[in-house]
Parts: sequence; C-alpha cells; structure tokens
Amino acid sequence: MSGAVATADKPRAVSDIGSAGKFLFWAGVVLLCAWVLVPIYLLAVNTLSSPQQVTAFPKTGVPSFDMGSIQFFLSFEGVLKALWNSVLVAVLTMILSIAIGAPAGYALSRFEFPGKATFRMLVLMTRAFPLPLLALPIAVMFIRIGLDDTPIGLALVHTTLAIPFAVLITFSIFSGIPLELEEAAWTLGCNRLQAFHKVVLPLVLPGITASAIFAFTISWNEVFAASVLTVQNRTLTAFLLQSLSVSPLHLRFAGGAALVIPALIFIFAVRKYMFAMWGIANR
Amino acid sequence: MRRTLKTLAIAALAIGLTASTANAQVLFWSNQAVPVEETQKMREQVLKAFPGGVDFQPQEPGPFITRIQAETETGTGAIGVVGGLYGDLANFADSWVDLSDVDLSGVAVSPAFLELGKFGTSEQKFLPWMQANYVMAANKQALQYLPEGADVNNLTYDQVIAWAKNLAEQTGSPKFGFPAGPKGLKHRFFQGFLLPAFTGSEVTKFRSAEAEQAWGKFKELWQYTNPASTNYDFMQEPLLTGDVWLAFDHIARLSEAFNQKPDDFVAFPAPSGPKGRAFMPVLAGIAVPKSAPDVAKSKELIKYMMQPETQVATLLATNFFPTTDAALPADLPASARALGPAVQAMTSSPDALPALLPVGLGDKAGQFNQVYIDAFERIVLANQDVRQVLDQQAETLRQLMVTTGAPCWLPDAPSEGPCPVE
Repeated sequence: MSGAVATADKPRAVSDIGSAGKFLFWAGVVLLCAWVLVPIYLLAVNTLSSPQQVTAFPKTGVPSFDMGSIQFFLSFEGVLKALWNSVLVAVLTMILSIAIGAPAGYALSRFEFPGKATFRMLVLMTRAFPLPLLALPIAVMFIRIGLDDTPIGLALVHTTLAIPFAVLITFSIFSGIPLELEEAAWTLGCNRLQAFHKVVLPLVLPGITASAIFAFTISWNEVFAASVLTVQNRTLTAFLLQSLSVSPLHLRFAGGAALVIPALIFIFAVRKYMFAMWGIANR
Repeated sequence: MRRTLKTLAIAALAIGLTASTANAQVLFWSNQAVPVEETQKMREQVLKAFPGGVDFQPQEPGPFITRIQAETETGTGAIGVVGGLYGDLANFADSWVDLSDVDLSGVAVSPAFLELGKFGTSEQKFLPWMQANYVMAANKQALQYLPEGADVNNLTYDQVIAWAKNLAEQTGSPKFGFPAGPKGLKHRFFQGFLLPAFTGSEVTKFRSAEAEQAWGKFKELWQYTNPASTNYDFMQEPLLTGDVWLAFDHIARLSEAFNQKPDDFVAFPAPSGPKGRAFMPVLAGIAVPKSAPDVAKSKELIKYMMQPETQVATLLATNFFPTTDAALPADLPASARALGPAVQAMTSSPDALPALLPVGLGDKAGQFNQVYIDAFERIVLANQDVRQVLDQQAETLRQLMVTTGAPCWLPDAPSEGPCPVE
C-alpha cells in the first residue's frame, strides 16, 4: 500500500502545500469571522436605519444613521434601571456559580470519594426540569421568605442553572493541570491552599473565566424566572424580550442591539483571560 | 487587577443583598398592550395622569399567570391591578375583590359586558376595560378583482375564495395573506370565524360534516394564499410591503398598515357562512386581586381606567375600543377610523354570530388552541385526510373538555357538565 502511494504520488514542492494551506487557513479565518460578524453587522445596520428602510427591499447595506429606534429605547421608561438590574444579577450569578462550582470541580478532579460518578451525573439534573414548571413553587417560596423581587433571589435561581457548567468546565480544567505541579509546590514549602493559590490558580484562570462568561450569559439570557420572580426590579431580558417578539421589525432590531451590546462589551472586557487559554497571554 | 476584581465582586454582593424597593406606585399587571410601542403609550398617554403613578408591566401569558398564581397562593403580593382577557380573568374568579362599590359616576358601561364580569355570581369580579375584534383588510388595488356582484361589506366565504383566486391568477402571484406564523392568531380564525360560520358551533360540532365542508373551503382558499403566510405573525407588515393584498387579522395587528398608508387600505367585516357571520369579540377586563397591597388605591385606578378620557386614550394607545359610552373624538388615527366601522358593521350585521374566546379552560387554553392549530397543519399544510384528522383531533378535544370540566360557551348551547364533542 505504502509503495503504491510512493510511486503514484510525486513529491510536491513544499511551497505548493504551503500556499494551499495558507488559502485554507485564510478561508477558514474569513468564514469564522463572517459567522460572528455578519449577524452583528445586520443588527447594527437595521438598528441605525429608519423604519421604512428596515422593511424596504432591496437593502442598501449601509445604515442611514436614523436614530429614531435608538431614541425610542433610550426614552423607554425603565430601560436603564433594567439594564443595571441585569448586570447586577449576571455579576452575582457569575460570582456565586464560580464560588460554588470551582471548588466542586477541584474536588471532582483531585479527590476520590464514594458516589463521585453519581455526583457528576446529578449535577446535571438541575437542568432537567423546565423552569416554567419550577417557577411557581419558587415564586411562592420566595414571597414567603422575602427573597421575592430581589436581585440576589434571582441570582440564586440563575446560579442553579449555571452550576452544572461551572462544575464540569472547571473539573476538566483542573484535571488538565498535573498533580505533580502541586506536589512540587508542597515540597517547596507551600501548604495546600498556597499551592493552589500560587500554582494552580494562575494556570486555570482562563478556564474559570470561560465558565464565568458562561454563567454571565446564562443569567443574561434567562427570561422566564426573571419575569416571574422580579416585578419592580426587572432585568433587561424580562423587561424587553417578551415585548419585542410582538413589536414592529425596526424596534426588534433596536431592542436586539440593546440586549446584545452590553453582553459584547462584557466579553470584550474579559477577553484577555479567555485568550490566555491558547497561550496568547495577557495582551 | 485581581484586587479591583475582588472589590467589584464584594461591592456587587453588597448591593445585591441590600437593594430593596419602596414603591408606592400601583403595579398594573397586564397581558395586553405587550408590544413595546403600545406599552410606551399606555405609560405616557394613558396612565401618567393617575395621581401617585402606575407601574405598567405587560407580560407574556406564561409569567403572567404564574405570578398571579404565586401571589394568590401566598396571599401577599405586589400586583395592584390585573388586566387580561375575559378567559384569563375567569380562571381566578375567586381571587378578585368585589368591584361593585367602585363609583363610576355617570359612566355607562355596556350591560352585557358588566354581566360577563360577574362570572354568574352576585359580585362584580372585573370591569370591562376594552374590546377588540378581527376583521379583513385589503389593499385598494385588490378591489378591482372582486368577483362580480360581491359587496365588500357583505362577503361570503365563497366570494372570498373567488376573490383570492382572481387575485392570484390576474396579478401573477397569490395575494391572500393569513397569520399562520408561530405567533400569528390563526387558531382564532378557526375557532371564532370559519368553523362557527359553517357549523354554528365552536366545540360541539368539531367533527361534523359541516366542519369537514368548512375545512374543504379553507383548503380551497389556501391554494390562493401567499405561501409566506406560515411566517406571518402580524398582517400589517406584509400588507405594507405589498406582498399581501387581502388579509385577515386582529385589528391591533392591522392598525399600523392603516396608520402608515391610510389611503391604501380598506377594512371590512369577516365573511359569512351558511350559519351566519361568525366573529370572535375580544373582551379585556381589569380586576383587583385580594392580595393587592393597597386595595383602595387599586380601586381608584380601576375607576380612573373607566373614565371617558382614559378610555379614548386607551383606544389611541392599543387600538382596542372603549367598553363604555365614551364619545370618540373626531381626530382619531386612521386605523381607528377605518377599523371601527368595519367592527361595527360586523357585530351589528343581521346574521351576526358571536363566538366567544374559550372560557373555563384555565392553563389548558394553550392545548385547546393547539387542537385547532394541529388540525390546520395536518389538513392544510400536510394535506392529510380531513375526516381522519377531525376524528383524531376531536378525541383530543373531548379529553380536554372532560379534564377541565368546562361547560359550553357561545355559540354552543349551554351544557350540563363538560362541553360535549359530538
């Protein structure tokens, strides 16, 4: 078999393969960028266009910088407060799910204990029940104990949704760090906590950031619990999303932008921790 | 960097734990006026003048109901006033306070609607807030293709089909549009228009021979229907873009077409069938839950909502018409001027046959709608055998009626126990 290949296939110049590879590489880059950027571009163009242009066809593809739709949202009562609530709940969710999920992930990867496999399965169970089913009992309980309509109450619910991801992502990240590194730190005088803090933590930071971003977006996008459990302290999604689906097209685009942009800004702000995962650290 | 992150985290936690609300506004929990523009108008033009302020919160059906259930169950709540459709309010009849002591000072409310607001008890459970209906709308260019001898204000289903056929054949593409999109109100057409017009019934005669004939007619109409209809939620948009010249929809979902291009469109009643001109009036009411934080204040808001100026402002905000004798101003927007007379002509036509929205189904209302949507998808979209589909769907419908125990509502004859499906 290998002989046949050798005779049929003349060796090609290295530069040929290089250029084909280069082409593939750049085609891939362009495709991936378009995948992310084209929807955002369309969202931006339609947000900045007048209602007539949004429904008109053919599209010019160039925004007319009509601020009508944006102004509508800026003057829409309660948007800023809802935005603030959304950020608050999402950040709380992020902190809580990392604070609870990362130690669980560490324990799963470093310690042997009975029921470990079952635990890994059970962690996923929080996602097995649809929220509309759980929302009523949760709302009743929250009203009774006074957590109703508070950011922390909603953050607790979102944390339960985010925890499976936090645990499983951090579990695999911690498993990727050789135990020997920690042992080396111990032999050099660190205790368990110090070794974790000085050796393991810097290495897993990108992974933790990734799961933090996950928690953030889960909370940011969640609608049902948010609209049942908050009344006066609404989050942006609860406040806008359900109204948007039955609103005119140009407002849907503007509202979509209002929902997407804060999340994009957040992801940009933490991107260097993400990129550190692929070795382009801290640029 | 790590220090700032830590400080941020602690600050966020602190704010999250201490943030509390002291809000004296009345919370108005509604599943009407959900589209953002209507919400904005409700807040700025309808409710702004109420002393003390109103926090108007429109909701999707799911969270709307769940929240009311939760507050009813615990007996303490934040909601001051609930605004919803007749059927939504009927589900929680025991949770509303009696509103008969609200002083309406000279406002004459439609007596039939007031009676509906009692749910057959002696207490006034809700007051009628606003009403709407469904009509047909057409681009004026379509009028020249009307079949011979047809009066646009007195069409039959056969004439609509002939009209749609003319449009499709003479303009080169199907121009009839139907809101069959995921959020379109297609099921209301079958429940309140098509089936009652042919069978005189919404539930009981679901699988009758007349129903089979009705579906046959609709299949005929579907041949001349714009295939993009399965994406249409609001018919105003395809009417405006010109993809559709003839359409059926809820008046609130047609209004934008009339407001943006008042000279291009006409509105007219839904067609009539062998049993009459069936239509589905939509009645929204306002109620005060027993768990409201300040019942007296809530009642004041109810009174405010019933005043003539508020009723007119509500019409301008939502395109729902008053339930009282409020005098309509002369400078109404184009949509109200065009749609109002069409609704009037339909409800007062000699063969008028009102078919109500489902009553007494509770949270099963969605499943009830699904029976009609499934029938539509199977018969019309999937082209399955009409008789077989109706028999199977009738079985689902019957089980639904038995589970909920809902007695018949108009136009079906009153029943003892659950509404039968023959």
